[in-house]
Amino acid sequence: MTKGLWDRETVALMLLAAYMPLALTWLWFGGTDALARLLLALVVSGIWHLVFMLARAQPPSLAGAIAALGVAMLAPEDLGLLRMVLGVSFGAVMGELVFGGWGRNVVNPATVTLSFLGFGFPAFPWPGFVEPVAWAAIPAALIGLAFGVMPAGVILGAVLVGVTASLAGLLPAVLVPAAGIVLVLLVACPVASAATELARWLNGAFYGALMVIFAISWDGAAPVQMAVSAALLASLAAPLFDEIAIGLWLARRRRPHGRS
Amino acid sequence: MAEHFNFWSTLTEPLVRQNPVTLQILGLCSALAVTTSLPTALTMAAALTTVVTLSAGLISVIRKHIPDTIRLIVQIVIIASLVIVIDQILQAYLPDISRSLSVFVALITTNCLVMGRTEAFSRHNPPLPAMVDAFGNGLGYSLVLIVIGAVRELFGKGELMGHTVLPLVENGGWYTPLSLMLLAPSAFFLLGMLVWAIRTVLPEQAEALDTVPPPRGEPAE
Repeated sequence: MTKGLWDRETVALMLLAAYMPLALTWLWFGGTDALARLLLALVVSGIWHLVFMLARAQPPSLAGAIAALGVAMLAPEDLGLLRMVLGVSFGAVMGELVFGGWGRNVVNPATVTLSFLGFGFPAFPWPGFVEPVAWAAIPAALIGLAFGVMPAGVILGAVLVGVTASLAGLLPAVLVPAAGIVLVLLVACPVASAATELARWLNGAFYGALMVIFAISWDGAAPVQMAVSAALLASLAAPLFDEIAIGLWLARRRRPHGRS
Repeated sequence: MAEHFNFWSTLTEPLVRQNPVTLQILGLCSALAVTTSLPTALTMAAALTTVVTLSAGLISVIRKHIPDTIRLIVQIVIIASLVIVIDQILQAYLPDISRSLSVFVALITTNCLVMGRTEAFSRHNPPLPAMVDAFGNGLGYSLVLIVIGAVRELFGKGELMGHTVLPLVENGGWYTPLSLMLLAPSAFFLLGMLVWAIRTVLPEQAEALDTVPPPRGEPAE
């Protein structure tokens, strides 16, 4: 115990625990089909973690299970074994493992997989969610916030923009379940979201704003497709928000203290 | 220099070991833009190899007469004239491919691979070595373009050079094309994976780390 209790695997375990309400509700309503998807994603992700452990001595992480859950829940339907294996492999390797494992990646591996599958096989339908699954995202977010493993600013920023837009009539109600589930599963990832306090609020608000823009001007897209695209763009913009936040902090410091 | 000049190694070094695209990361814009199918990639590769070889020869011939202060202008004039000739030939004899290559043949003028070879090598070497070096670099560029173009066409359309290799689902086959392969991001992924593979085989190509992690002490038991 030289590094304390909160190492990477504790965070991954707490995140996994936070996702339990969502995952179990989804499995309850999805049945064996959902279970089969989850098992496939878990096995493929686990194999790649093992390969990188043996080839590069990278410790495997339980975060692979989190990415697998996100992929299993949000991936397009009826993809078949081969395409699913290809997508999960691409996301796990190119999104996470080449960078040195969970904690060093720039985009959530599940987001990479879903974007790859969505752009690569545009003919397959995106999944929909029954209402109880969407409600289960709320306890998942609350557990994550209570234990501090999900960035509070991201979730609150996105919810703030979402509620404002809904009240103004800009965000149709059909989009809200998918947007909420993707917010909890992909956007509120402690690694790929912004790292400074102000930037986290901006990051979450940016995700919400993208959802509003897509809702207004993207015809013919499924709700999950819009949400995944917004999550991808939001996590790609996260370093920019960090840069802005740090720049503002430096400027504020320079004013009373003269030259830094 | 002239008596110890090794033609074979000058020609073969840029193929993998000193590859202009995967090691020096030069000429990426065109390499990524024209590789959606093998025929366009091949045409582009041939056009660039011709331009770089001829311009290296021409610049090397007059290398002692080019004033140093305006050498870039002179080089660009020579390269641009050759590019215009190639572009006209393509438009005359291969109009379809010329249309799908669109502006990228004209952009060979500003390709940093061509500029890099003329500026770094042809300016200081006799014509024959300069042309051999430029030809080798053109072949190295072509190699990367052909590999990426073949992969993108094969998995994006199930074809190679327009011939069906993987029968598509819509024509009664089994293969569902990966549409991502026809979009620009896939070229970045493929090039990244190619660089990764080459640097795994030849670790001396990997760049030095920006920062070095501190040495890890033994954990106190």
